Amino acid sequence: MRASGTASSGKKVECPYKGGAFMGLRAGHDLLYFGRWRRMDATAIDVRKAHHQMKRLLGEIAISLETEDIPPARKDLEKALEALYTAESGEGGPDALRYLDHALSYAHRVIGDLLHEKGLPPHSPADFAGWYDAGEVPFREDW
Amino acid sequence: MIPLDRYPKEITLRDDTHAVLRPMIPGDADGVWRFLRQLPEIDKAHFREDVDQREVVDRWAKSLDYDAALPILAMQGDGVVGSATLYRNRTGWKQRVGIVRILIAPDFRHKGLGTAMIREIRYLGEKAALNYLLAEVIEEQQAAVRALERMGFEKAFVHRKFVNDRTGRLHNLVVLLHPMSGLEEDTFY
Repeated sequence: MRASGTASSGKKVECPYKGGAFMGLRAGHDLLYFGRWRRMDATAIDVRKAHHQMKRLLGEIAISLETEDIPPARKDLEKALEALYTAESGEGGPDALRYLDHALSYAHRVIGDLLHEKGLPPHSPADFAGWYDAGEVPFREDW
Repeated sequence: MIPLDRYPKEITLRDDTHAVLRPMIPGDADGVWRFLRQLPEIDKAHFREDVDQREVVDRWAKSLDYDAALPILAMQGDGVVGSATLYRNRTGWKQRVGIVRILIAPDFRHKGLGTAMIREIRYLGEKAALNYLLAEVIEEQQAAVRALERMGFEKAFVHRKFVNDRTGRLHNLVVLLHPMSGLEEDTFY
């Protein structure tokens, strides 16, 4: 994760992930969420890289969950790992991407549960879209 | 018995305001009454009793039984701004199925409170060793349906023109199920 970036104005901008709870997990999630592997022109290398990032993210989530009593989050982590393994066995086909996407959704839910237990609002990648120069994001929490 | 020692629990909403989650107590009758009066008609359609009658709410508050119905209220100051109730049967073939009802005050929608309440109910459902959570939502309540789906509920059925509101108009009913950890453990006996 870079520590700072350059806005379109040329001005240096501070990394929005500095400080706060579970920022490593949130940044790890968003790296995948805004990652090249989800683009139409993604290469096999982009997808391979996403698999590695996902494995690392789920490992970090597992460590964070060790000290927490959140049964639904443990269940979602299991589902995320299951989806990742299915994606890895899919050899890059369209289903593999779908399963990788599922793993990311489960990971997002677990991060939300961790934040909820600390009394914090859920993580919304939309809040960080500017950091990734992303034009739009699929959804925002709306209820 | 669901452990309730996690309450009161303070949460932060998307607009950086705070709410406190805690089980309803008999002294909440007034707050719940004022909360229900803010809700649009469609949100009150599922109640079996006329919740516009103050005595109905008073009776609920006096007869709280957390093993049968556990209402978790979201409070801001003295005001109730949301509720999530987990209904359970002590016996019978649906004793491992929890029924979920979530209500959010109109001014507190789009702030993540509904999603926070769903997270709370999932936690309680796991602690109660349920096999499924079941939520019934009128199809027009799309924000609620989407939020439930994002939290792991799956649409099981849509019953066409199945329920009526209090004016008699018919609505489609969406039934959503959330499988819980207990389900997988039970599969092997």
